[in-house]
Amino acid sequence: MTTTSPSQEPAAPLEPTGAPAVALRGLTKSFRTKAGEVHAVRGIDLTITPGEVVAVLGPNGAGKTTTLDVVLGLTEPSSGTVEVFGRPPRRAVAEGRLAAILQTGGLLHDLTVRETVRLIASTYAAPTDVDDVLARTGLTELQGRLVSKCSGGEQQRLRFALALLPDPALLVLDEPTAGMDVTARREFWRTMHLEAARGRTVVFATHYLEEADAFADRIVVVAQGRVIADGTTAEIRSRASGRTVHATLPAAGRGAAVNRLLAHPGAADVRVQGDRVSVIATDSDAVARTILVDLGGHDLEVVTGSLDEAFVALTGTSDTTDPIEEDAR
Amino acid sequence: MNATYLGLELRRFARDRANLFFVVVLPAFLFVIFGATQEYTDARIGNGNVGLYILVSMAAYGAVTATVGVGGMAAVERLQGWGRQLGLTPLPDRTFVTVKAALAVLVALLPVTLIAVVGLVTGAEGTVTAWALSMLAVAVGSTVFALFGLCAALAFRTEAAVSAASGMVVILAFLGNIFVPLSGVLLTIAKFTPLYGYVALARYPVTEGRLISNDGRDLGTEALWVPLLNIGVWALLLGVVATLLVRRGRSRQ
Repeated sequence: MTTTSPSQEPAAPLEPTGAPAVALRGLTKSFRTKAGEVHAVRGIDLTITPGEVVAVLGPNGAGKTTTLDVVLGLTEPSSGTVEVFGRPPRRAVAEGRLAAILQTGGLLHDLTVRETVRLIASTYAAPTDVDDVLARTGLTELQGRLVSKCSGGEQQRLRFALALLPDPALLVLDEPTAGMDVTARREFWRTMHLEAARGRTVVFATHYLEEADAFADRIVVVAQGRVIADGTTAEIRSRASGRTVHATLPAAGRGAAVNRLLAHPGAADVRVQGDRVSVIATDSDAVARTILVDLGGHDLEVVTGSLDEAFVALTGTSDTTDPIEEDAR
Repeated sequence: MNATYLGLELRRFARDRANLFFVVVLPAFLFVIFGATQEYTDARIGNGNVGLYILVSMAAYGAVTATVGVGGMAAVERLQGWGRQLGLTPLPDRTFVTVKAALAVLVALLPVTLIAVVGLVTGAEGTVTAWALSMLAVAVGSTVFALFGLCAALAFRTEAAVSAASGMVVILAFLGNIFVPLSGVLLTIAKFTPLYGYVALARYPVTEGRLISNDGRDLGTEALWVPLLNIGVWALLLGVVATLLVRRGRSRQ
């Protein structure tokens, strides 16, 4: 699959607002449970411009769903502000600028596909034509079927159809392909590509790196309620899947050597521990050559992690752990 | 008001055959067995006959079964994710409540209408005023018990809880002097149970407060404030419990 870039077609249905599609500032959200206070989101700042296709990537419990719920106006933040196209989320929803596909659930099993679409359409002042939406999501053949008789993938297409009804400028998807088989997943993203090409801003949560990589222009990695990485898919991918070069640098000129490595085009990140340096590399050969030839390094090792291991390392880094929260548990 | 939503809700209701039977057909059937085909049906009472008295009782039972189900399912749906789906639309909460309240009244009118038709052709008699006021009281009063279904759903969060609450209506109907005329201690206890005031109020246009006994004894008349106080207190109590349960649900989010 290729990465879709935002289309130039001005297909946004309403007057553009000039404001960012999403603006989160200092967002936190805590819940009180029987076990004590849970800090689901601990300070997220995020700006998404119209037309971007952004993946929010993170393991389960990272705070993705909570963050998206705040963006959708389903939950009030504990502190911080949220704006969608420069207005409160509820207003953006009421104006039809914002729609979402939620995780499993959220459908009435004793309605047919068409009835469900008609019902949600009736809540909007000027919804898209029901037949048109059914056709675009491949549901025309299934429109008379009861929701309870639809497969997981078909139900997800129905949720997709519901999200298209207001012709939203921003589409939020919370783990949209969870529970789908490979074919359904591929088909879902194919349809989503077409919608993104109409100029919609798309923000989706996932815990599959491959999915983020295949569909997003930009990946925001969230772990333990904070953003730990934010960049183009190429940047994140290299950070997540690159090799790590370890070497010992001579004491003389070590500072300058580290700076040179930081500026190295083949290096994504540099860490120093005593006289050892660890370079997360996008081009490990070039980094190794520089260390051995130019910087006089020795005891060099190159370590390759699997994609999954690298992702776990990226999202589970120990320096994001907040000791205060551990006490609260 | 959202007419499309209400129309689709009615279609959903009609799709559930089992529900349709228990809510619409069963009360009419009970009326035929205990009212229309019995000798005592033609006995005069107040502004009508015993047939009309039993007709009102069974209509009340059917209407309450209907509204308990509607109220309960409204809460279960919202808890199971439909609330989130609706939260992503411009639909205001008050429109949702209006749609469900209208649904409750319309659904309650189904058994009421069927029983009234059956009653008219099988000898239930009364003045036009008695008929009209009783049927109106049955339909409007039954909406109070949508709160009962709502409480059951909010407390236990399952469809099974709603079914159990609908089933409990049978017991409450016995205790509430609906199926069998009670007397003595049972009648005293009945006056404190939730369905007593509702059905007594609905019968009032027919009986003018006269109590009926199984064995022909004269149990005298009852003042109108007794059923009014009963339904008022129960409406308040169910309202308070429902509000507390909604708050508990919110703080857990």
